[in-house]
Amino acid sequence: MSTDDITDELTRNVEGTTQERLPRLFFFICAAVSVVTTVSIVVLLATEAARFFSVTAPLVGFAGETVDAADFFLKTAWQPPEQFGVLALVSATILITVGSAVVAIPLGVGTAIYLSEYATPAARSRLKPALEILAGIPTVVYGFFAVIYITPVIQGVFPQTGAFNLASASIVVGIMIIPMVASISEDAMSAVPEDLRQAGYGMGATKFDVATGVVVPAALSGIVSSFILALSRAIGETMAVTVAAGSQAQYLNVLNPASYLEGALPMTAAMIKLLLSDITGGGLAYRSLYAIGITLFAITLAMNVISDFIAQRYREEY
Amino acid sequence: MSTHDFGQVSRTVGTVFRYALLAATLVGVVALGILLLFVAVDAIQPLTADPGWHLTFFLSFVLPTLVVSGYLYRRAPDSLRAGGAIVGLLAVTTMFAGGVVLIFVDIVSPITWFGFVLALALPAGVLALVSRTLSPGMGTSVGLSAALLYISLAGVPGPVGGIVGLAPIAPSVIALVGSIPVLPVDWMLLVVSVSLPVGLLAGSYVASYTDRRGGIVALGLTVALGVAASLAAPSLGISAGPSLLLATVVGVPTGLAVWRSWETNRLALALPAVVVGGAFVGAFAVEALGFAGPQSWVDWQFLTSAHSRIAEDAGLYPAIGGSILLMGAVIVLSFPFGVGAAIYMEEYAPDNRLTRLIDVNISNLAGVPSVVYGLLGLGVFVRFAGQPTGTVLVGGATLSLLILPIIIISSREAIRSVPEEMRQASYGMGATRWQTVKNVVLPRAFPGVLTGTILALGRAIGETAPLIMIGAPDVVFSLPAELSAKVSAMPLQVYAWATLYGSPAFYQKAVPAGVVVLVSVLLAMNSLAIVLRNRYQNEQ
Repeated sequence: MSTDDITDELTRNVEGTTQERLPRLFFFICAAVSVVTTVSIVVLLATEAARFFSVTAPLVGFAGETVDAADFFLKTAWQPPEQFGVLALVSATILITVGSAVVAIPLGVGTAIYLSEYATPAARSRLKPALEILAGIPTVVYGFFAVIYITPVIQGVFPQTGAFNLASASIVVGIMIIPMVASISEDAMSAVPEDLRQAGYGMGATKFDVATGVVVPAALSGIVSSFILALSRAIGETMAVTVAAGSQAQYLNVLNPASYLEGALPMTAAMIKLLLSDITGGGLAYRSLYAIGITLFAITLAMNVISDFIAQRYREEY
Repeated sequence: MSTHDFGQVSRTVGTVFRYALLAATLVGVVALGILLLFVAVDAIQPLTADPGWHLTFFLSFVLPTLVVSGYLYRRAPDSLRAGGAIVGLLAVTTMFAGGVVLIFVDIVSPITWFGFVLALALPAGVLALVSRTLSPGMGTSVGLSAALLYISLAGVPGPVGGIVGLAPIAPSVIALVGSIPVLPVDWMLLVVSVSLPVGLLAGSYVASYTDRRGGIVALGLTVALGVAASLAAPSLGISAGPSLLLATVVGVPTGLAVWRSWETNRLALALPAVVVGGAFVGAFAVEALGFAGPQSWVDWQFLTSAHSRIAEDAGLYPAIGGSILLMGAVIVLSFPFGVGAAIYMEEYAPDNRLTRLIDVNISNLAGVPSVVYGLLGLGVFVRFAGQPTGTVLVGGATLSLLILPIIIISSREAIRSVPEEMRQASYGMGATRWQTVKNVVLPRAFPGVLTGTILALGRAIGETAPLIMIGAPDVVFSLPAELSAKVSAMPLQVYAWATLYGSPAFYQKAVPAGVVVLVSVLLAMNSLAIVLRNRYQNEQ
């Protein structure tokens, strides 16, 4: 009999009284708020975005100006309120996400291995709060750092770099998501049983062998899920890229590293820009906000679900 | 034998790997440190000060602090940590006191506050009397307290009656206090409505370590401190109200910490004494010797004036006030719901499909980009509910939704860490589920919940995107005085300076200064949370 069952046994007699029902109801309402939030996000994004596309507008009984879904998802020119080719925004978002991954993944995994395998408890208790500070700095501040301090350094190496560029934005977003990669990966590594390490040492393996050959493979599902979560954070990151990446939408070749030296408009920054430019309530530009919003929401949600799935499905059970 | 003693055969590869990992760990932290140093130099401009100014402060402040810290580090690390905590407390309470003074000067007048405190204290008193004499059931007492609170805050029949069309019978306590023709001066009201409650808290803290007498002494000292600060204010050149608030908010917690330290570890007082003493001596010395300080952009003018088109005159005051008000709204809206949801999930929820759905839902909500929450606020609160754009209420509600999942997740962790034996012991004593939650789980989990909430508030205070989405204005020239007033916030103001007014003058002056203020507030909040958490983990 589990403790939960014992608890149920013990509290059964008073469960129906007002004293017990009132708090229970209140706490349930609190928990329900989160469901209501999700439902309202989905309903709001879906209905407003439906009024944006010509395919779905009739379904919601909307007769105003609309945009063809193919034009939105496949064209590469973003110039509201005339052209809504979201690929221009997506290319910038992809570039920043990949760039921040290049910064955050090696550093984050290195940090996680160090904290879980090498650091003394005293060192760990100092380093972990310091890392948390990285995630605690407001993102608008990171954007300012990118423009004022990092861009000049990049311009020193590549003189053709623009005042606003994707490289500086990628670097600060990368720094910002290091703690996320590190803490989730470290949790996964700490969960690897001590026996496995002992077995490795028993076979004559060095600490290096054990860390790279035993701990990292055993924790791989957690590490990969940390990557996906951190990248979904990078995709949704708004203020740093709004300040640092520029405000001119342009379609960039995502496979060409030289794209990083140019400025572009990622999806989140485009939303901020749309809002700050005088959009008339209910107009096409206003509804395009929700079209980008639902794209963003769908991508980040899918990544969260995949990350969760990988962490659960491929977890090594011991 | 632990694993640390194995694996000693690793040679070059192992060593290189180890240091590469250490380097990877430090890269981010060091990079941020350098960036913060740069921005601090840009904002404070230490090089513009006279060399004599630096020398004086080095001799009076830096050198003694270093010597004492070094000595304590070698001889008594505990005292160094405890002393550092007191210095940190002084810094955090000073910052907090600044916010409190701002609220009382520009948002809530002392008389309104007095009425509010009275309106809360009266029902509490009546309720305590009723429950002591009649011991009513829970349903009755909840109903009674709700009715009493409504009457005292809103009057009879209040806004509900107003909607139905009833004539007012009795005004609320707040209105009653406001209508008294002759009133004592502001600082006397503050003594009753601020010093007294704070003194009661301090008294109960002291009494928990000593006895009832000690508590009464602490209460008396707190009130006396308030009165003394008000009476001494004119000779210091400030108003009585701010003086009382500063003395109470800074003095009482620091005084309590010093008192505890005096009782347990007197050596710990060396560090705060040297830091505070050195700062005062240095300040007097540079004044007397006529050395000029740095031409810092973060100065009194910056903290107390509104935005201006000229970078030198631009200030952060309305944005600071806006951030404080938003924080207030966020705490009220998110804390009860977040903790309540965490309690439901950990203590009540049956293991069924709905619970799993809520569980998955909460973790996914934590991953939704902040700009989408902004859209939610815009679509639901502004377009659907018809609220005006950019108000304190809409901003606070949007930010609350944003940090709700974070509060729920951290509160759940804190509640989960309460040992199951304690709950079982409570049930074994015949306690019900609610009694167990109220008397065992919540008190035990409270420090953890508090830590998570402070970190989540730090997140909310630094958010800009949702505020832009709900249409918060870039520039506000006065403090919002009510919930339906337009509000700006510190990060939003910094963003506006960095982009809309993105001239070199703003980039060199106002933006670094704004960043320094914003980051200082956040670092203070983060350190407070970390210190709380460490203390809490040590206790367990």
